[in-house]
Amino acid sequence: MGDIILDVRNQKTAFVTARGMAQAVDGVSFTLERGRTLGVVGESGSGKSVLSRSIMRLLPSNALVPADSRVILNGRDLTRMTETELRRLRGPEVAIIFQDPMTSLNPVLTIGRQITEVLTFHMGLKRRAARDRAIELLRAVGLPQPDVRVDQYPHQLSGGMRQRVAIAIAIACEPDLLIADEPTTALDVTVQAEILDLLQRMVRDRNMAMILITHDMGVVAGRCDDVAVMYAGRIVEKAPVRDLFHHTRMPYTAALLASIPKITDPPHRKLDAIEGRPPDIINPPPGCPFAPRCLRADAGCDAEKPVLAGTSRHQWACLNPLGEEAPA
Amino acid sequence: MTAHTADGFLSLENLTVEYPLQSGRKVHAVTDFTARVRRGETLGLVGESGCGKSSAARAVMQLPRPTGGKVTLDGQDLTGLRGKALQQARRRFQMIFQDPIASLNPRMTIRDIVAAPLEIAGIGTKADRHVRVAEMLEMVGINADQAMERRPHEFSGGQCQRISIARALILQPDLLVCDEAVSALDVSVQAQVLNLLERLKTELGLTMLFISHDLAVVKHVSDRVAVMYLGRLCEVADAETIYRNPVHPYTRTLLSAVPEPDPDAPPRQVAVIPGELPSPVNPPSGCPFRTRCPRASEICAQQMPDLAPIAPGQMVACHHPHIDTP
Ligand SMILES: Nc1ncnc2c1ncn2[C@@H]1O[C@H](COP(=O)(O)OP(=O)(O)OP(=O)(O)O)[C@@H](O)[C@H]1O
Ligand SMILES: Nc1ncnc2c1ncn2[C@@H]1O[C@H](COP(=O)(O)OP(=O)(O)OP(=O)(O)O)[C@@H](O)[C@H]1O
Ligand code: SF4
Ligand SMILES: [Mg+2]
Ligand SMILES: [Mg+2]
Repeated sequence: MGDIILDVRNQKTAFVTARGMAQAVDGVSFTLERGRTLGVVGESGSGKSVLSRSIMRLLPSNALVPADSRVILNGRDLTRMTETELRRLRGPEVAIIFQDPMTSLNPVLTIGRQITEVLTFHMGLKRRAARDRAIELLRAVGLPQPDVRVDQYPHQLSGGMRQRVAIAIAIACEPDLLIADEPTTALDVTVQAEILDLLQRMVRDRNMAMILITHDMGVVAGRCDDVAVMYAGRIVEKAPVRDLFHHTRMPYTAALLASIPKITDPPHRKLDAIEGRPPDIINPPPGCPFAPRCLRADAGCDAEKPVLAGTSRHQWACLNPLGEEAPA
Repeated sequence: MTAHTADGFLSLENLTVEYPLQSGRKVHAVTDFTARVRRGETLGLVGESGCGKSSAARAVMQLPRPTGGKVTLDGQDLTGLRGKALQQARRRFQMIFQDPIASLNPRMTIRDIVAAPLEIAGIGTKADRHVRVAEMLEMVGINADQAMERRPHEFSGGQCQRISIARALILQPDLLVCDEAVSALDVSVQAQVLNLLERLKTELGLTMLFISHDLAVVKHVSDRVAVMYLGRLCEVADAETIYRNPVHPYTRTLLSAVPEPDPDAPPRQVAVIPGELPSPVNPPSGCPFRTRCPRASEICAQQMPDLAPIAPGQMVACHHPHIDTP
């Protein structure tokens, strides 16, 4: 076994809301080794961003995490750390690229200031050196005219340019673990390819690890080693990329893969959407959360919540998994 | 009917968007953008990040008014409208903005956000509006009972995106401008929303300008596709045609970089374009793509290629298009 950098154990995150407790992350456990990229996919609202914020310990004040949830990074338990300790560690040890770049950038500071602040705080660089490094980083993420852009404000950049600034900030301190939440959705495919090349190179050369949250199955197929599929706050399937695509076990994963629009299809073909909606996370059903929408569901699925089982290589949470049909 | 002669329900003539800089110079975000979109047609708009897609979209919306050129919707010149008249006309065209979370007012409840266009337009009683908001939320796959009284920060990125889609559709606009409207959605919810948009298009004749970096999605919804580079159109063609036979060197590169959802796809020699997008403050002479184009010759530096028909339903702005027939 390789060198484990991140060990998440039974992470649960709930929000106190007017309607009751919303269980956004519902018992997620996994480990991640150095040098590897874990893709995370899943239904909108399934808890991917809340899981990343939980790992970073960056949760809003209405969030509740039980005492037995653990996040162990580089052998140290983040759940036992003070806010000051965490602040020193965010950046050099773990960094995040947030999903919505506009909300994570400060609108009244130039983008140069936002990067140099990180560099002076964590890396102890002097003003001049920090500015040079900032320009270098902006160039690395493919921002055109970095020496001009460095003095601009976020609103003067296009959506994709802002996203690249957010990436530059996240990699500024060369973190051991990078959590990238939809890092390339605002980027055209050529720039996307360049950025993913850069991140992949960092993972390989610096032996870091990456969690890549994405909706783009092309990115998952081409850039990740393993994939975790989330549904209603849980990991419902996890496997190396090829196993997940070729030996899908969980029906939700299969339905997800079936709804990808294919570039080889003619225009206006009706897409195979999954009927129905994910469950209300405030009043979840007692059984499998996917059961109401699942074509393979039977009475057992409504009664019993399946747990993640399988091999150490490939796990799934399903009572009637695909690929186990009794021989005729 | 070729793209050129298509009657224009939405007609953009020489649309130009410039942003003044402190230095006194200007960012040429969009230059001479001319296009016509038929009623019920979807025009896809693609291109490198920063090439001016959102600027063009906002110019169509008169948010703000373009620096130059004309936008006509159903015979009405939007660029000439002011004050009340513009407010009135706005009911007919709506936009879904690129940053889903940032475009929703964090202090408002979801109900008030989605109801706002109705309220501004003075449509219905409070109770009517409530019913309408609930319908719209359900249509985009959000449970109305659970969502109405909550605020944007309590929702995921994709949920916020669907809320802004509901807001844009509530007035049943004739024209919908979608700026990366489905990019924060997972593929199954995306399929639901795309099927919904396709249904509105066939049932209500919704006309769309559809911006996305996902070229499979663009192909899926578009009747025609326009490709932009550094503020200008470089190729416009029927969706089938442009994916089967792109003729502009930039379109070719763009299509070759699409990641395939197949782990066994051979790692492609992705044509990463050499160099960077030139500065829109100081665009190159002649063809804007020539600084990175493998086919560029002397004339490309001297003369701007015109957007001209090259085949039925296909126009290109290039001195040396790929016309090698198979
Ligand atoms: N501050 C909050 N208060 C209450 N509920 C919240 C809060 N933040 C998130 N949620 C809820 O938690 C659930 C998980 O949200 P999360 O943002 O993790 O989804 P996601 O998987 O990242 O989705 P997407 O793909 O759309 O970004 C959602 O149902 C959301 O409504
Ligand atoms: N308010 C502004 N002031 C100055 N420059 C601006 C402003 N808004 C946009 N720009 C510039 O105009 C150009 C076009 O930006 P636009 O947002 O239209 O690009 P885009 O094609 O939508 O890109 P993306 O795909 O990244 O969203 C960019 O160079 C951008 O920096
Ligand atoms: S006009 Fe010349 S530079 Fe421009 S795309 Fe065509 S060949 Fe390339
Ligand atoms: Mg998210
Ligand atoms: Mg944009």
